[in-house]
Amino acid sequence: MSSQAATARPLSAPSGRPQSRPERRLRALELPAFRRRPRLLYGLVAVAAALGIVGAQMVLSVMSTQSSYELARLNSQHHELTLQKQVLDDELTGLSSPQYLAANASALGMVVDKTPSYLRLSDGKILGAQKAASSKSAITLGKGSVANELIADTPLVTDPEATIQGDEKQTTSTTENVTPVPVTDGLPTVRTH
Amino acid sequence: MTTRSTRSPRRRTVVALGVVLIVLCAFVIRLVDIQVVNAQENIDNAMSHGLSTTKVLAGTRGEIVDDDGTPLAVGTLSYTCQFSPNIVRTLTLHDTDGKEVKVTWDEMSQKIAEITGQNVDDLRTVVSDALVDNPKSQYAPLAKDLTTEQYRKITALGADYVACSPKAARTYPNGAVAGNLIGFMNAEGKPGAGLEDQYNQCLTPTDGKLTFQNGKDGVIIPGTETETPADDGGTLKLTIDADLQWYMQQLAEQATKEMGAQYATITVLDVKTHKLKAAAEYPTVDPNNYDAKGSFLNSHIFNSQFEPGSTFKGITAATLIDTGAATPTSTAEVPWVKHFSNGAVVNDAFRHGVSNYTLAGALMDSSNVGASIFSERTSVKTRYEYLKKFGIGDGSAIHFLGETNGIVHSYQDWDNQMRYDTSYGQGLTTTVPELLTAYQALIDGGVKYPIQLVDSCTKADGTVVTPTLPKAERVISEKTSAQMREIFENVALQSNSYADMVKIPGYRLGVKTGTGQIAENGHYKSGVYYTTMIGFAPADDPQYLIAVTLDEPTKVRSSTANAPTFVKAMTQVLKTYRVMPTTTKPTMLPKFG
Repeated sequence: MSSQAATARPLSAPSGRPQSRPERRLRALELPAFRRRPRLLYGLVAVAAALGIVGAQMVLSVMSTQSSYELARLNSQHHELTLQKQVLDDELTGLSSPQYLAANASALGMVVDKTPSYLRLSDGKILGAQKAASSKSAITLGKGSVANELIADTPLVTDPEATIQGDEKQTTSTTENVTPVPVTDGLPTVRTH
Repeated sequence: MTTRSTRSPRRRTVVALGVVLIVLCAFVIRLVDIQVVNAQENIDNAMSHGLSTTKVLAGTRGEIVDDDGTPLAVGTLSYTCQFSPNIVRTLTLHDTDGKEVKVTWDEMSQKIAEITGQNVDDLRTVVSDALVDNPKSQYAPLAKDLTTEQYRKITALGADYVACSPKAARTYPNGAVAGNLIGFMNAEGKPGAGLEDQYNQCLTPTDGKLTFQNGKDGVIIPGTETETPADDGGTLKLTIDADLQWYMQQLAEQATKEMGAQYATITVLDVKTHKLKAAAEYPTVDPNNYDAKGSFLNSHIFNSQFEPGSTFKGITAATLIDTGAATPTSTAEVPWVKHFSNGAVVNDAFRHGVSNYTLAGALMDSSNVGASIFSERTSVKTRYEYLKKFGIGDGSAIHFLGETNGIVHSYQDWDNQMRYDTSYGQGLTTTVPELLTAYQALIDGGVKYPIQLVDSCTKADGTVVTPTLPKAERVISEKTSAQMREIFENVALQSNSYADMVKIPGYRLGVKTGTGQIAENGHYKSGVYYTTMIGFAPADDPQYLIAVTLDEPTKVRSSTANAPTFVKAMTQVLKTYRVMPTTTKPTMLPKFG
């Protein structure tokens, strides 16, 4: 298309000139070569741009493929961590239950006071029974009568030899790591890979 | 300007351009048709050739939590593992140093058995049996309900002939605490009872899905995933306090055993908010292990009705005072057995001469004859209307699964005996929630409010849905209610059978008991009763209302059996909620005129 336009212009030019300057009928044609040089430059620019786009496309494609591998790796890491969290959650469920707390308190010799007293701070007056707690608890704390299967065989924190049922500890691999590990050097980390 | 020489090439150009444009338009139309109009159809068509993989994204069932968010039921995962017997063989694996090790089936089955805790011979038999049946067998069960820890250990073994899949499971961190209320999830993963069933719609998640194309190595091809995210189930928040609930359940078991009863219930109502803080009973169920021996899967509190006995004298007295038919100090001549003119006979549980009881006194000593004589001062129709206004026979707004309603026959159907029996809680039945609702109105200003067990359901997107509750209704005047509080406090102070037992130092209490007969096959059981003690504290400004019921206590057969349990329950409630001891003095009402 552009070459058509280029040739059309020099043809129309002479037809206009004779009207303004009729005395000069002949003149030198403009050199078309002068116009050809920028065309080559444009071509080079266009080809370079095309190559650049192709190159960028390839780089982007490689990068997105690369990141999809990265994504897959992170996904599997996420999955692994989710599993670890689940294992830890499983170990912890039941430990926050009132049954476990009561059994641990009972192992320390604690009781529920039948007739509590209150100290009023404003005037130092003791309200209520004004007696020390007896050794007998208002309700039994030790035996787990409100059943909880999750912690039935879990050793007590305050008495690792006993479980909530009052039995001797039944050593199983799943319950061993329930007793807390003393923190010596920062927070303990899980050694899994 | 247009000459013949220029016209011809230009026309050609225009024609050529036109043709190119038409072809271009055709392509564009087709492109839009493929890419936009029929895009989904084409994609589906392509995907049906096995190009895409669809993964179900399972939502998690919502939690059930107590009033401060302590989880009572949580969603978790368990694993089911299976063998592919056709590829069971000696495996060549790499140890941690990268060296090759051969692992025989014998060694591997031994390791698997150690993890699952099964008998190794059983495992080997399962696989060999499957191969005998079908040498190409691809399935033999290994184990189900494995924990995540066991699952990880099994996958770490690297046996390609073992495959495991996760399954939604339910764990109840607090075990049997509120077990009768929560219900459980059965082996098929369906709700088995209680709130799990009643609020299933709130708790059930909506599964999502992930569709993608993957390369040979299983990696998702970028840009091919379409994800519909899963909606987790809502969180069901109860009004129950888990710690208090545990205490009451422990106490209920103790009461049942100490009194040789069939079952016991202890229910705590926050009078100001009308919310249940504990609804404990024995026997109970640990939803983690619901088919254990001795489990009771329903709720006696909501699913059982009983003849209340003398707790209904409170309603009779309130009816009389509210209608102006009597005052707490009105008197009547009360013998211990009374033959009424219509032929009805009523007698008291204890022998006494003819006493000039006040209305308050008749409640203090729980005189059936007294209540019957006083009840004649108003019509049966009025008494019936008040019973209905107090909500007797209407169940509760909780609408617990299978909730029972009490039965009150219409007053036109009351026979000569029943017109007196109903004044002291015989000849009709009620339930624990109805009794609590009625007493809440009796003692807290005379307005009946719906009691609540479920606080709200919070959906995954954060919207909070609260149960729709019926409107509060005035039953008796504020003045009558204040007088009833005084009467109940005097019952606690002057009762002839348990005044010395119902005491908490520093606090003012109000109580009423009931010893109801138990009907069986049209007759009353002899010598065994359904006993109730309902009471509140502080008596001058009630904050907590507690009902303790025992079915057929045998050690002590009257409602006195409930007194020690009631006192322990109330002590714990006052302690838990930091209710300050009272320093004011009660008003003493005369027992006799």
